[in-house]
Amino acid sequence: MDLLKQKILIVDDEKGLRLGTKRLLEKEGFDVVTAENGTEGIALGTSTEFDAAIIDMKMPDFDGILVLKEIIKKYPNTVCFIATAYASYDTAIEATRVGAFSYIPKPFSPDELLLQISKGLEKRELNLQKERWQKEREERLLEVAFEKTRLNTIINSISDGVLVINKNGEAVLYNPSALKFLALKNIKIEEYIIDKLPEKLAEQVKQFLNSSEYLKRSLTVQLQMKADNELFVEATTSPVPAPDGSLAGVAIVIKNITELKKIEFLKSQFVSMVSHELKAPIAAVYGFLKLISDKSMNLSPDKQNEFINRSIVRLDSLLKMVNDLLDISRMEMKTTQREIKELNILDIIKNIMDLFQLEIKKRNLNVNIKSSEINPLFKGDQDEITRLFTNFVSNGIKYNKQNGSLVINIEKNDDYLVTEIKDSGIGMRPLEKDKLFHEFYRVKNEFTKDISGTGLGLSIVKRIIDSYAGKIEVESEFGTGTTFRVFLPVVDNALKENKVTLNNIQSV
Amino acid sequence: MISVDKKILLVDDDLDLLDQNKILLESKGFKVVTAEGSKKGWEVFKLELPDAAILDLIMEEHDSGFILAHKIKKDEHGKKIPVFILTSATYITGFKFGASTEEEKEWINCDGILNKPIVIDDLVNKLEIFFSDHITK
Repeated sequence: MDLLKQKILIVDDEKGLRLGTKRLLEKEGFDVVTAENGTEGIALGTSTEFDAAIIDMKMPDFDGILVLKEIIKKYPNTVCFIATAYASYDTAIEATRVGAFSYIPKPFSPDELLLQISKGLEKRELNLQKERWQKEREERLLEVAFEKTRLNTIINSISDGVLVINKNGEAVLYNPSALKFLALKNIKIEEYIIDKLPEKLAEQVKQFLNSSEYLKRSLTVQLQMKADNELFVEATTSPVPAPDGSLAGVAIVIKNITELKKIEFLKSQFVSMVSHELKAPIAAVYGFLKLISDKSMNLSPDKQNEFINRSIVRLDSLLKMVNDLLDISRMEMKTTQREIKELNILDIIKNIMDLFQLEIKKRNLNVNIKSSEINPLFKGDQDEITRLFTNFVSNGIKYNKQNGSLVINIEKNDDYLVTEIKDSGIGMRPLEKDKLFHEFYRVKNEFTKDISGTGLGLSIVKRIIDSYAGKIEVESEFGTGTTFRVFLPVVDNALKENKVTLNNIQSV
Repeated sequence: MISVDKKILLVDDDLDLLDQNKILLESKGFKVVTAEGSKKGWEVFKLELPDAAILDLIMEEHDSGFILAHKIKKDEHGKKIPVFILTSATYITGFKFGASTEEEKEWINCDGILNKPIVIDDLVNKLEIFFSDHITK
């Protein structure tokens, strides 16, 4: 069988007609198969797909209509003709009703037959084309649907809010984050949305939609969505172009910036606190100078001297505070140059103690330094670690009682080198303890009023310890004393060494 | 001079400023009693029953002055005397508040906000206006 040739099936019990037609059609270039009764016709017509079939209406075994039905049940695109010698209006209707392309009255002339067949095949070609297109279209749709689902899944899983609005101001696309960040209950696709947006954002969107020309830039607005700094978002609106270059709508991306805002708030709070702390000593010195310079005050030379000395004390503490602030700022900006090397904590503490000999004698303190290790080693920057322990020793002396004690105990466990600094000082109340590491916090009571300090020492200490991934514990009882425990990690010193060196290069 | 027998209570947690303002007021003929901090301030107020009180705003807490002013204004004697809050907070926080309208006096509960540093002549002026008003009434 030639695959390129169109195939025609002839089902007829009349041998002469069957063969005559076969010859005629073969001459015309068709591939022709014949069947001499209905049974054979059904068998052939349903086993392979023929382009066309000419079926005799009256056969001894089966009716031609039945054969036709069977064939098109299997191959609906096979063009079937009913050939009949008893042409009547009814037969014609019956044949086409069950699916015949047309009927051919017998006897037929070759031209008539060929004309009919060519028409039928044309129709079949159209049908096949239609089917192909339909199939293609369905596949396309399926693909689009899949793409759409995939896109939706991606957009829905983005943590930023996404909202797309068309040029009529109707919502086209959105994700759950957008609803959450814009405090929208539920929106419908193609619903007019602009009225529901926060005012500032609505205005921003309108700028794009109402503009006579296509705006190429994006606009950003920050919105407070909940009171008390609980939800701050930043919405960026960008134009979406249509294929012809005009504006199709806008895409809005909504970011949660609550944490950033919180940091911003803390920073400005810090600045205002710093200003207040810096202003106090300046005001005090200014006041003293004014009094001294005011002749009408008639200050005695002793009084004048006292005021000068008190001014010096205030300026001295101001200087210390500025230095501490600079240190904090350096730590925050991570511009401190660290020189990491193996340090002997015991040596460092002993050196610090030497510097405080005078104060220790003044208070007649009993100092005791113990260590479970002969060489308690820690890898760190000498200046920082010295600063860290100086602060604790200084506090332990400053806030101690006359004839009190200061005990320092160094121990090493699996994870940490633990240094305990225990004083018999004035101690703290629980509320005071909680605020201990806050900038500028100083415990204020009858015992502390004559003790000077910037209120930044422990805040700096905390930063140093944090930067070495260590931790700190405080135990205190008001009137009895305070114990600080400093935990410096020693476990993966080998691992950490690499990291620290790396950090060092980047001048952490 | 009206100031002669008037007793002023000064409350501030900065000892230096407390001393300075004391000297300034004394130079104008006032008697001055001082207290370091708001807790002490209340005790001295009850003990001395001053003719006026000048309270620093930021002491132990950021609003210690307001709270003490409120307490004094609720007191039988405190109702009759002028209470001033001393602060530079408006400058630092950028938050403007005053006690010029009745509404502000209601919730801040004081007779005036004084900016730091004290300009002594202004303060004396304010006090004298208050005292003379009181006498004519």
